[in-house]
Amino acid sequence: MNIFGYLGLLLIFPGFLFTAFMGLMVGWVDRKVTARIQYRVGPPWYQNFFDIAKLFFIKETLIPAGVSRALFLGMPALGLAGATLVSTMVLVINASPKTGFIGDLIVIAYLLLIPPIAVMLGGFVSENSLASLGASREMKLMMSYELPFILAMTVPIIKCGYSIKLGEMISAQYVNGPVFASASGVIAFFVMMLCIQAKLGFVPFDMPEAETEIMAGPYIEYSGKALGIFKLQKAMLGFIIPVFMITLFFGGIKDDFSGFMKNIAEFAGILVIMIVIKNTNPRVRIDQAMGFFWKPVTAAAVIAVALAYFGK
Amino acid sequence: MYANILANMVLLPISAGLAMFIIPERYGRLAKFLSFIIALGLFAASIYVFNVKPAFWPGVDKPIFMADTLSSFIGLGIAFFALVTLTYSFAFIDKDIVKYNSYVLITLGSSLGACYSANFLGLLIFWGVLALALYLLVNMSGTSGAAKASEKALVIIGGTDALMLFGVGILWAATGSFSMDKTHLPLDSALSIIAYLSIASASLAKAGAMPFHSWLPDVAEEAKVPVTAYLPASLDKLLGIYLLARISLDIFAMNSISNTILLVIGSVTLIFAVTLALVQHDMKRLLGYHAVSQVGYMIIGIGTASPIGIAGALFHMLNNAIYKSCLFLTSGAVEQKTGSTDMSKLGGLSKYMPVTFAACLVSSLAISGIPPFNGFVSKWMIYQGIIESAKSSGPLWVIWLVAAMYGSALTIASFMKLLHSVFLGRPARNFGDVKDVGLLMAVPMAILALLSIIFGIFAFTIPLKLFIIPAAGSAVFYIGTWSPGAATMMLVAGLIIGLGIYAFMKSKSFRTTTTFIGGEEPSSMDRVSGTEFYDTLKDMKWLGRIYKKEDSGSFDIYVQTKNLISVFTGVLQRLHNGVLPTYIVWCLLGMIGLFIVLFMGKI
Repeated sequence: MNIFGYLGLLLIFPGFLFTAFMGLMVGWVDRKVTARIQYRVGPPWYQNFFDIAKLFFIKETLIPAGVSRALFLGMPALGLAGATLVSTMVLVINASPKTGFIGDLIVIAYLLLIPPIAVMLGGFVSENSLASLGASREMKLMMSYELPFILAMTVPIIKCGYSIKLGEMISAQYVNGPVFASASGVIAFFVMMLCIQAKLGFVPFDMPEAETEIMAGPYIEYSGKALGIFKLQKAMLGFIIPVFMITLFFGGIKDDFSGFMKNIAEFAGILVIMIVIKNTNPRVRIDQAMGFFWKPVTAAAVIAVALAYFGK
Repeated sequence: MYANILANMVLLPISAGLAMFIIPERYGRLAKFLSFIIALGLFAASIYVFNVKPAFWPGVDKPIFMADTLSSFIGLGIAFFALVTLTYSFAFIDKDIVKYNSYVLITLGSSLGACYSANFLGLLIFWGVLALALYLLVNMSGTSGAAKASEKALVIIGGTDALMLFGVGILWAATGSFSMDKTHLPLDSALSIIAYLSIASASLAKAGAMPFHSWLPDVAEEAKVPVTAYLPASLDKLLGIYLLARISLDIFAMNSISNTILLVIGSVTLIFAVTLALVQHDMKRLLGYHAVSQVGYMIIGIGTASPIGIAGALFHMLNNAIYKSCLFLTSGAVEQKTGSTDMSKLGGLSKYMPVTFAACLVSSLAISGIPPFNGFVSKWMIYQGIIESAKSSGPLWVIWLVAAMYGSALTIASFMKLLHSVFLGRPARNFGDVKDVGLLMAVPMAILALLSIIFGIFAFTIPLKLFIIPAAGSAVFYIGTWSPGAATMMLVAGLIIGLGIYAFMKSKSFRTTTTFIGGEEPSSMDRVSGTEFYDTLKDMKWLGRIYKKEDSGSFDIYVQTKNLISVFTGVLQRLHNGVLPTYIVWCLLGMIGLFIVLFMGKI
């Protein structure tokens, strides 16, 4: 593939534009379902697009006095770059599993760390105490959910014959059935659901942002375009992480009609679980979250790995 | 003449270092000049050795020095890091210049000697000189803390050196030779296992792995920064891992038990040291704990016994030396310009020291294993080594994999804290008068940071192809995929998308304001220094206990051995109570014992 091929994949489909569109749509589903749970009508489907456009085109971008402009404005762009690259990789590999596009499962797991790091550094750069506090919570949260996340990730690795290439994992599940069809797969799936709830910063694990308490934490000084880019990056992750889960546990996106319908059902299922957890739980304290991920969730993940090892 | 090059490379710097003592202190510049020329020459010579690999010293049946693919690569690394840290130290070391340069040259010669030695006797001698040189270099700080730290380092490294002598003795009894050939002695008898573990303990102590790690954070905190960057951060890592690789790959034939021992040591070192690093308050001490924890990856890599894991371990050794010495050098820059490395007294320095900050940011991301930097590639190879070994061994591989990957997440946490409390966040005081470092200090940091980037993006075409795969000695098959070039290109394209969003808007929609904290004056709010970020961990029951025990020295082999020895000497002390009848009773008891033995023999 030549350089323009790569750029096309990255910029338009299935990279930046497509994922951003889907991410904002997912955001709308989230808001709509939340509204219905709370007996409200909810916004129209284009609301999130208007919100982003407002930040990009109308609102002014405030920069705290005395901070490095390049770093302050660069961090949102870095986060967006990470999210775009992960989206492109996951979707391209799903479209053609035989091409080992850019990287494997471990690469994706590490690239997924770039957006939160960008958010934290952005918060640090703004020299605001509340931003520092929020970013430190983000870091502690990451420290706690990474342990069960890595453990849960080894279950598909074992199930797919010790392969870490995403394409091979998709093919292996095509032959042997999805990872989710086993006891270990189910447990690992739900462990990972909880981890991505925290990765995406959804309630009850939104203490890094905690609007009512530390006023959006690392985002506190961000406004206008810079905030818009951060929001866009978050929306993209909201779409691509469930797709990544589908790839790991349900054998990826299928190219036949019935398979694709199943994919949509799986995606909706993941989304509904996230939204229901979000709407039925209050925010927990950071030490509670750490204890939760390090004790029961990790224990469940260990059980899943043990079951997978014994072929269950 | 060429054949003698190895011997000359070892003897020249040592004799120059000894001769340098006669230079009076006020001609410090001459000492600097001489040591720089010698280091430069050795770097050139090591490149030559790396390309040609003269294997024998003529006239002797058995070579004293040799350069194979592994040792010529290590020698190149030693000469390179010596040159870089020496350049930096010209602007950093301001007194005892002659002494410092002479110790550095002696260290350089002995390190090259240890790495080019073709037999264990040479290795033992140079190893001993290195321990002494480290002691002298650390002591140059002149503080009481440095005296204690250097003593600890000398006792631990010297003690394991004695163990190595013991192991070499057993090896000689088993094979009848001291040479470092590919003997592949099987680890099937108790003696050979003891020999392996004894020699391995020397390499682990040098590299700073558990349980011989405790000297490293102390030295990092107390020694002058160029010394730390020179020895514990780069040369000691290269030599320690070199010896471990040498005995594990060539001299002994590893089996699953010895591999598991390495994997356990590696995993424990990794997780434990990084957990301790999280709560440190001093930048240099924090980096010292990371210097311990990163060794874990290399030991795990060698323990996987798969070609890709071993190559990953060697690559990680090189990468770690690059970014870790760079990080120490940035801490030296911060110390020189602000007078402190206490993280609660810093903050916001990125505006005043942009070059230092950029070097520190790149190295921090590299050590955290963020793609596309070099640390990611070597960690990625080690993970593959673990997964590769999983196919042939029991379920324990999950533990090693989780330890390695989770250790990486904790490393990120630790470096986020460091970046925040030193370079970002609100400054602790007005640093308006602080300027960035001069060229002599900036260039070494910039070179190392650039290497972290280049060895990451062009990992497969430059370092792996030229150095690592030949040194590891066997073909490597990747079970994953990673194209750093394409990924970097796409990350840059993504960055451009983000910057483009700023660009296609009118610039007047940007405005500068003061920070907002709920309408309060920013200065009325307590500053978050960042050092207390992870104090939540201290409040957790079992983690808190571990931190308390570490503070009291429970995990320090030096303190524990000292306690053990004082128990024995305590018993002996009590026997010596100075009362004559007691001594007479002991004499009589001894004589009775002797008589019984003698008469039993007769009957």
